[in-house]
Amino acid sequence: MNANDRILQVEGLTKSYGKGSTKTEALRGISFDVLEGEFLGIMGVSGSGKTTLLNCIATMIKPSSGKIILHGKDISTFNGKQLANYRGKEIGYLFQEFELLDNLTARENITLPLALHGITGEDAENNIRQIAAKLDITDVLDKFPSQMSGGQKQRVAAARALISDPSIVLADEPTGALDSKNSKILMDKLSSINNEQHKTIMMVTHDANAASYCSRILFIQDGRLFHELRRNMVAEIPAFFYERIVTVMAQLGGGSANVL
Amino acid sequence: MFFKQIRRNAARNRKGNGLFFGSLIIAIVAFYTLLSLDQQDVMRFLSTIESDAVHKLMMLIPFVYVISLFFVFFLVYFACKYQMDSRRREFGMYLMLGMKRSRLFLLLLCETLWSSLISLLIGLPVALFLTEGISLVTAKLIGLGILGHRISFSGDAVLWTVCGFVIVQLLSMLIICIPLGKAEPAKLLSSDASQKQAPMSKRKSSTFFILGILLLLISYYFAISQLSSMDLSALMISVFVLLSSGILGTFFLYRGLGGFIGKRITRKSQSATGLATFTGRQIQENVLFEHKSLAVSSLLLLIALSSISYGIAMGIGRTTESRSTDFSVTGTESEISAALENPEINEMIETSYPVYLSMTKAKFETTSMINALKKIPKADNLVRNFHLEYILSETSYNHMMSAMGKEPIDLSTNKAALYSTMGGEFDFYDLLNEALKSQVTIGIDGQKYDLLPQLYHDNIVANRSITLYTALIVPDELYQKLAEDTQPFCQNIHLKKSLTDQLGLMQAIQKMGGCLAETGLQYDSYLGGIGRNLFYTVAASYLTIYLGILFLLISNTLVGLKYLIQQRKNKHRYITLLILGAATEDLCCSAKKQIQMFFTLMLSVAVCNSIVAIFVMFTNLTRLPTGTSVATVAALAAIALAVFIMTEIIYISIVKRTACREIRMLEITDRG
Repeated sequence: MNANDRILQVEGLTKSYGKGSTKTEALRGISFDVLEGEFLGIMGVSGSGKTTLLNCIATMIKPSSGKIILHGKDISTFNGKQLANYRGKEIGYLFQEFELLDNLTARENITLPLALHGITGEDAENNIRQIAAKLDITDVLDKFPSQMSGGQKQRVAAARALISDPSIVLADEPTGALDSKNSKILMDKLSSINNEQHKTIMMVTHDANAASYCSRILFIQDGRLFHELRRNMVAEIPAFFYERIVTVMAQLGGGSANVL
Repeated sequence: MFFKQIRRNAARNRKGNGLFFGSLIIAIVAFYTLLSLDQQDVMRFLSTIESDAVHKLMMLIPFVYVISLFFVFFLVYFACKYQMDSRRREFGMYLMLGMKRSRLFLLLLCETLWSSLISLLIGLPVALFLTEGISLVTAKLIGLGILGHRISFSGDAVLWTVCGFVIVQLLSMLIICIPLGKAEPAKLLSSDASQKQAPMSKRKSSTFFILGILLLLISYYFAISQLSSMDLSALMISVFVLLSSGILGTFFLYRGLGGFIGKRITRKSQSATGLATFTGRQIQENVLFEHKSLAVSSLLLLIALSSISYGIAMGIGRTTESRSTDFSVTGTESEISAALENPEINEMIETSYPVYLSMTKAKFETTSMINALKKIPKADNLVRNFHLEYILSETSYNHMMSAMGKEPIDLSTNKAALYSTMGGEFDFYDLLNEALKSQVTIGIDGQKYDLLPQLYHDNIVANRSITLYTALIVPDELYQKLAEDTQPFCQNIHLKKSLTDQLGLMQAIQKMGGCLAETGLQYDSYLGGIGRNLFYTVAASYLTIYLGILFLLISNTLVGLKYLIQQRKNKHRYITLLILGAATEDLCCSAKKQIQMFFTLMLSVAVCNSIVAIFVMFTNLTRLPTGTSVATVAALAAIALAVFIMTEIIYISIVKRTACREIRMLEITDRG
C-alpha cells in the first residue's frame, strides 16, 4: 500500500455547533486516509460524531476547521458549480431512508444524477442495464417507488449512487430501514461491487453485521478517533471479524481501558 | 408570555406568507365594497329618483353577500391550511412539551383573532379608499359631477364586513384544527408525508381525457347552435345539457390529463437532461392530485371572465344611449312661453323648440315595406305586426338633430323617413334598417313617398317610457294636413353646454328641474328617463364585475395555494436533488416551470370555455345595442384583457417568488 493509493485525506477535521457556553464540539480533530478500493466502516455510539463526519465529506455541512482532500483538491473550499459537480459526479450517496423521488420511476431516479449533468438516459442505457442486472432490479426499472419493496428501493438508490461512477460511495446506515434478509442482500451486492469493481465505499453504521463486510473500521468516540480494526481479507472470515467488532463496540461504552 | 407568543406567531405568519395575508385583505375589501354599495354617490342619487328599483337591489345585496361569503370561505380556508401545514412540527413540539390540546387550540384561536384584527386595520382603509375611488369614477363617468360627493363611509358595511370576515376565518380555523387536534404528536412531528402516487391505468386516464374533450365539444355545440331556440322547454333542456356536459367535461378532462402528461414524459424521459423529467413528473403529480381544484378553478375563471364581459357590455350598452333632449315640457303654448321667459330659466337654455307629434287617420300603403321585410330571414314577427299610425314633423326632428350636433334630414321631393324608439333589442332596428336599404316606398292617402334608406331612432321626447313602435317623419305641410291634433305635443329644452360642463349633466338637469317645478308645468327630464336605465347599468355592471373580479382572484389564489401546498409536502425531494448535485437555481427554475404550466393548464381550458361563452352571450342571449361604437367596445375589451393578463402575471410571479424563496431556504441538512 503506498501514499499514491490515497483517494481521500481527512486532516485535523473539527466541527462545532453554537457559541460560548453553548458550544458543542461534534468533531475534535479527526485525521485519516481512505485508500482506493477500500470498504471503510465508521462506527460509534450515538452522538459520537460519525454522521457529522460523513456529512462533512458529503458537503452537506461545512467543517469548522481542517481539510478534506479528494484527489488532491480541498473540497471544503468548493462553492457553486464546483460543489454541484462534486456532489453529482465525485460522490455517490446512499441514505438510510433511500430518498428516492416517489413521483419518478426507478429508471428516472437512477438517471437523475446523469441528467443533472447533461447526460441522457439513452446515452447511459448500457450502463443502467449493467448496474440494474448487478443489483437485481431490472424488473422494477419502470415502476414507481410505491410499487417496490424496501429492499428493492434501497438497491435502486444504490444504483443511483453508482450510476455516475463516483470516486467514492458514502453510505449513511444503508441497512437501517431494512429487514435482516434485505440487509444481507444489499451488503452482499455492495461487497461484490467493492471487490469486483474496486469501488471505494465509506459506510457509517451501527450494525455490526453490516460492518463485518468492511475491510477496515474506524471507531469514533466523542468526536475523536478511538480505535481502528482491519480485517485480514485473505485469512479472516466475516464471522470472526464480526466477533472482533462486537467486542470493540462493547468496550466503547466503558471507555478505552479494555480495548483489545 | 402567552400573548407575546401569539403576537410573534401572527407576525411571522404575515411576513412569511404574503399570499395568506393578501387573501385575508382581499376578503375584507370584497365584503366592504359590496356592502357599502348603497353609500356610493350614484346609488344615493338614484335612490332619489328610482327608489323602488334601488330598494329591490338593496334586498338582493344580502344574497350576493352570502354567495361571496361562501366563496371567500374557500379562499381563506386554503390560505389558512397552507399556513397551518407549515407549522405541523411546531404544534407537535408544543404537544410533546406538555401543552394541553385545549391550550394549543386557544393559542391558535387567539392568533386567528389577532391576525383578523391586523388584517381589518389594513384592509378596511384599503377598502374605503377603493370604494371612494369607484364612487368618484362612476359619478364622473355618468356625468354626476363631483360637487355632490360625500365620503361613502358606512358603519353598517364595516360591521357586517367585520362579522363576515371573522366568521369565515374562525370557521376555516375550526375545520383545520379538528383533524390537527386528533393527530398524534409523532405524526405532527414527522415531516409531511407526500401522498403516494398511484398511477391510474393508462386506459382509464385516456378514457377520461377523451370523454372530457367530447363532453366539452357537446356543450360548445349546444351553446352555439341550440340556445337560440324560442321554445322554453327546449331551451331549458339545452341549458341543462350544456351546463352538465360542460361541467362534467371540464372535470373529466383534468382527471385524464395526468395520464396524458405521464405518457409524454415516459416517451421523452430517456432523452431528457437536467431536471426536465423531474419537472414533468411534478406537473403530472400536481394534476393527478389536484385535478378537482384545477377543474373548480377553471370553472370559476370561466364565470369570472363571462361576468366581467357581461358587466362591461351592460355598462357600454346603457351608457351609450344618446342624449337627445334634456326636458320635454307639456302645457299650453302661452304657459310654456311665459315660463321660458323667466330669466333664471332662460339663461340655462341653449335651444328650445316645439315637438309636433300626432296620431293620424291617414291611409298608409305599406306593401313595399312588407315585401322588403319578407325577404329578410327572422323578420316574420315584423311582417305580421308592421303598421303606422303616428307622424312626426320634419322641423321638430331636425331641431333635435341640430341640438345633438347631428346632420338634419332632408325630406324635400316626396320623401319621408321611418322612425322608431322601440329599442335595439331582438334585432328590431337592424331588421328595419336592412329592409329600408332596398328603396322602399310608402303610400299616404294615395300619394307615393320614398323612404330614406335608414331608420331614425333618436328619442324625440325626454321621457324614455314613451316608446313609438313606428312613426313616419314627414314634411311640415304634410304634417299639418294629416295630423289629428295640430297643437305641439310638447316643448323640448336643451341645456347650455357651459352649465352641464360646470355642474355635471345630472346636477344641471336637477337644477333646471327645480326651476320648472316652481312654474307648475308638467315636464319630463332626460334624467327621469334614463334613471331606470342608469340604475340597470350601475346595478348589473357593478354586481357582475364585482363577482367576476372576486371569482378571478379566488380561482388564482386557489391554484397558487394548491401548488405551494404540494411543493411544501414534497420538500424532501428538493433536498434529495440538492444532495444529488442539482444547483438551487436549477430547482427554482424547475419550480417556475411547474407553476407556469400549472396555471397554463387552468387558464387554457378556462379561456377556451370563456371564448365560446362570451361569443354565445353576445350572439344569442344579449346584444350590444345598435350604435355602440366598435372602437369603444374594442378599447374596453382590450383594457379588460390587459387587466386580466396583468392579474395573471402578478399572481404567477407571486407564487413563483414564494416557491423560490422556500427552495432557497432549504438546507440539505434538513433531511428527515
